[in-house]
Parts: sequence; C-alpha cells; structure tokens
Amino acid sequence: MTDLTIGVLALQGAFVEHITLLRKAAETFKSTRQSKDANASIDNIAFSFVEVRTPAELSRCDALIIPGGESTSISLIAQRTGLLEPLRDFVKLDRKPVWGTCAGLILLAESATGEAKAGQELIGGLDVRVRRNYFGRQVESFEAELALPFLGDGQGGCFRTVFIRAPVVEAVLGTSSGATDTGSAHDSAVLTVHAPPKSATKAEVEILARLPGRAQTIRDRTTTAGELGEEGDIVAVKQGNVFGTAFHPELTGDERIHGWWLGQVVKAAVGAKKATGEGDAHHEPV
Amino acid sequence: MAPPTANDSPTTTLNNTAATEPSRPLAFRSQSRRAVNDNSTEPTPSKPTTAAKMSASEPQSSFAVKAGLAQMLKGGVIMDVINVEQARIAEEAGACAVMALERVPADIRVQGGVARMSDPAMIQDIMRAVTIPVMAKARIGHVVECQILQAIGVDYIDESEVLTPADPTNHVDKHTFNTPFVCGCRNLGEALRRISEGAAMIRTKGEAGTGDVVEAVRHMQTVNAEIARASSASDADLRAMARELECDLSLLRECAKLKRLPVVNFAAGGIATPADAALMMQMGCDGVFVGSGIFKSGDAAKRAKAIVQATTHYNDPKVLAEVSIGLGEAMVGINCMHMGEADKLSKRGW
Repeated sequence: MTDLTIGVLALQGAFVEHITLLRKAAETFKSTRQSKDANASIDNIAFSFVEVRTPAELSRCDALIIPGGESTSISLIAQRTGLLEPLRDFVKLDRKPVWGTCAGLILLAESATGEAKAGQELIGGLDVRVRRNYFGRQVESFEAELALPFLGDGQGGCFRTVFIRAPVVEAVLGTSSGATDTGSAHDSAVLTVHAPPKSATKAEVEILARLPGRAQTIRDRTTTAGELGEEGDIVAVKQGNVFGTAFHPELTGDERIHGWWLGQVVKAAVGAKKATGEGDAHHEPV
Repeated sequence: MAPPTANDSPTTTLNNTAATEPSRPLAFRSQSRRAVNDNSTEPTPSKPTTAAKMSASEPQSSFAVKAGLAQMLKGGVIMDVINVEQARIAEEAGACAVMALERVPADIRVQGGVARMSDPAMIQDIMRAVTIPVMAKARIGHVVECQILQAIGVDYIDESEVLTPADPTNHVDKHTFNTPFVCGCRNLGEALRRISEGAAMIRTKGEAGTGDVVEAVRHMQTVNAEIARASSASDADLRAMARELECDLSLLRECAKLKRLPVVNFAAGGIATPADAALMMQMGCDGVFVGSGIFKSGDAAKRAKAIVQATTHYNDPKVLAEVSIGLGEAMVGINCMHMGEADKLSKRGW
C-alpha cells in the first residue's frame, strides 16, 4: 500500500477546480490501472488531495499542482507566507513532481517576460522563458481544440482547451537551471525576471503541445498549421518531473490530463522508492 | 438594438496584431467576438466543455472563457484604485485585479451628483501600468458605456449600483458582449436574474463607501439561506420558488444541485479590515472586493497587503491576528443601521 499526498497550492486562484478534477481522475486512474498493470506497487495506491497554504502543509506532499490565478498575487503571497524557498526546494532540490497551469507555468519558468514594474519572484524548475499575457487581454482569451498526443488515449489526445490571458513558452533555454538568458535583453520595454539557480538537472525540456497559428486557423478552418508549415506556439512542456501548461484543463471538466499526470506521479514515486532501496538517493526518477 | 460592434474592422487582423505584438497595449481594440465565436463553433470531436454548463440557460459559446477569468480571481482581492500610483500599490500588495474608477464610493457618497463611467484615458493609463486584470464600472443599463469599456479592452465590466443607474427598468443584455460582466446582488433572485442576462461573476452589493460590513453579511446570508432552501426543495417547490424569486427555473435548479451559485461569487460593499475580508470568506465567498476601505485608510499599502494575506489565510486566526496588528487608522465609515433608506446604494438595480 502506497500513500501519495498530492497538494494543490491554495494561495489564490482556481485550486478547488484542480482538486475536484484530481478526485475524478483518481477514480478513473484506479479502475483502469488495476486491471492492466501487473506492477504490485502501482496496484495499491491511496491518493489524498490537500490544499497547501503553509510550509508544513507542503512538506507532507509527494507532488504539487500550482493552479491558474494571478501569478503576481500567488508569488507575493507565497513570499509573505514564507513558502517561496520551500517551494523552490520542493521543485528544484527534491525534484518532486510538479504541474503548473497558466500562472503556475509562469512561476515554474526560469525566466519570464512581460512583468510588472516591480518584477516578480519565480520558483523556476523549467528551463524555458515564458511571456505573460501573450495573447493579450481578456477579450483575446479563447477556447481551442488541441491535439495532445502525450495522452496516448487512442483519440489523438484531442482536448478542448481554455486559454485565459494565457502565457506561452517563448524559448527553451540551455538545460541547466539558472541558465543566463539573454534572448530578450535588448527589448527594454518589457521587464524580464529570472528564478534563482539551485541545482541543475540533466533532463531535457520536452515540448508536449503546440497551439497552431491562431490567426490562420480562425481565418480558414480547413487548413491546419502543419500544412501551413507553421509550428505554432509552445503551450505544454515537461522537463524531468516538472510539467507546465499554458491552458486550464481544470476549467473543462475533462480529467484526462489529470489522469495522465497522476500516472507520472506514481511512476516518479515508484522510481524514487526503488532508488532509495538501492541506496542511491540522488538518482533522479524520470 | 445593434450589437456593440463599435469598431468592426476585420477582427482577424487584430488578432494577428495581438499575437505578434503581445506586450503593447493597443489604444483601441475591437472585440474579437467573431473570432471567439468562429473558434468555438468548430466541430468538436471530443465531448464539449462542461465548464460551459455553468449557465444553464443556453450559454454564449465563450461563456467558459468569461467565467474562467473569474475563476482565476478566486481567493483574491480586487481593489478600487483612482490612479496609476494606487494601481501599482495594489499590484505590489498582491491584488488579483484592480477596479479603475475616478471616485471611490465613499467620495461619490459625499460629493453626490450623477456618478458616471470614468474617463477612458484614466482607465487606459492604469491598464498600461499594471499586468493584472483591470475592471471598470458602467452605469446600470448603460449599454454604450459598456461598449466603450469593451472597446478600450477592459478585462471585466462591473455594471454597478455605485454609479447612478441609466435605465429605470432593465440591466444591460450582457450576452451580446465579449467582455465578461460582474454584477451586484442582495439575494438569490437578483443574482440569478443577472446570470441569466449574461453576468459571468456575481458579488454581494453590501453598502459601498460605508466601511460597514453589515450589509455585505446580510446579502451573503440571504443568498446562502435561499440556496439552502432550494437544495432541500422538491421540484414543485422549486417552481414556486422561481416565481417568488422572479428568476429562471433552470438556473435555480442548478444552484440547488451545486449548493452554490453557478458562477464565482465575491463579497463587496463595506469591507475595510483583514477581519472583514476573512469573515466574508468564511461565509463562503470566493474572494473580496475592497473599495474605499484601502485608499481611505491611514496606511494604504500595509492595509492592502494585510487584506490580501487575510483572504488567503481566512481560516487561520493566528495569521489573521498577525496581519491585523498596527494597521493604523481604518476608514472612518458610516453606520448602515443609522442610514436613511434613500441613501442606500444597494437599493439600485432591478
């Protein structure tokens, strides 16, 4: 029997929605996994889902979701609650599985542009540079059908996604945490902030989803981005145990991404257990 | 009535601009309503979004997007600001959005006269100054003020009883707008009427500009009690109740099932201290608006930060005690119990 405590950072934003979908995903996850997975350590898993507002609550967690919300608010409240350093340790030293949606993706990036005048503290963990409010203000928020092949659900991973004042991943940086990013330094109109370095990871940044050129798809719905030779904006990335999406699966009622992520968490937990068993505590679960 | 297409230039071009020059606030944006609609009328092979179910009345295709922003504001504090300096203070305090207006409700009360939408230039200055969402108020029923606010790209429109109503019988038909709306309510019927008109977020009316939380508490209590009654009612009783509350039956059924409003519900009107904010959160509000309470107090920056912390840690009395210490003078306030009925702003709205 394995107990896995999964936290959702509940400082501000849509944390309740994540917990609701995690509960739903856990049901599906158990019913499908138990039949097809022979691995005994995956068979008996008790998930518990908790809201995280303090360092003590965070320390109980095996994995964490950083929800959508206002990234400046979440970052400032975390700082004043004494949660920022524990969060950085959780993501970058303990390397426990973490998933950030929208504001969460911004906080997990090593670098962010389009910042408030006063700047903002980032947690880091993903060697990418994100641009805040990339698509514009609320009137430019939208829904889109997106292919998420990583779901591997046999339906091509077609997923209805909601983008609200969403960021995108502008660039993938060199794979060492705290890599100096000079990509946007010449652009003095926008402020870029960086997360402080911790320990580096060897894991590569994987691009899991792109949003096909929006303007084109709107103008002519018969052409796909692939046909136009346009790659599209990066809206989902993963590096080791850190996963980030620019959109909000928690607003859809569709628990497939949550189910997939629970699978990743279980894999990481099993990997970590084996690693400790072999006496190699520094082995990084993938 | 013509739909609010103040600037109906090709929206696709505008979207293009928005995508390639994301950081530059355009002076005047046209609404990308057509784009959003086109986008979501595409054949959907997977199951349709269930977030759109939030309104039981046939929702506009982008309702999930409108209500979604409100969901992102949950657990946060939205602060009234009258200039760029205050907007920055609010952002640095951790506000999840700001409400841009020329006069805070306390001043509107003192100065009297007709209170109208703010100067768009002042709102745009604030939009350029901060990265958090910016809301602005329009008069009840004033469709054109709403069109103007949408055209300048405000993130949320508050059709507010704090301003002088412009329509003696109707509120704005909010379905026709691409910008989401927040509206005030005193009870469940009023909340559901606003939602059926297209509001994607609700707040209690409270009594703005008084610094007295009693009316916000009264309104939240009323909404909670009516939802509790609906939840235990039979279907026949629900139909009677819908007639009594003068609201849409399907929305009432949805409330009964969810045991809450189908959209995000904030507290507003009279919140002046961290304890007030936490009180409203403990009553089940999703977040708080603080109007005059912050910038009419002694130390605005400190109070703003304290209210933000109190809204997050609303169930932790130790944190609440800590943040309540040494905040300086609170806004003077007006006792609602001793107020003439005619002076109550919350009576406005139908």
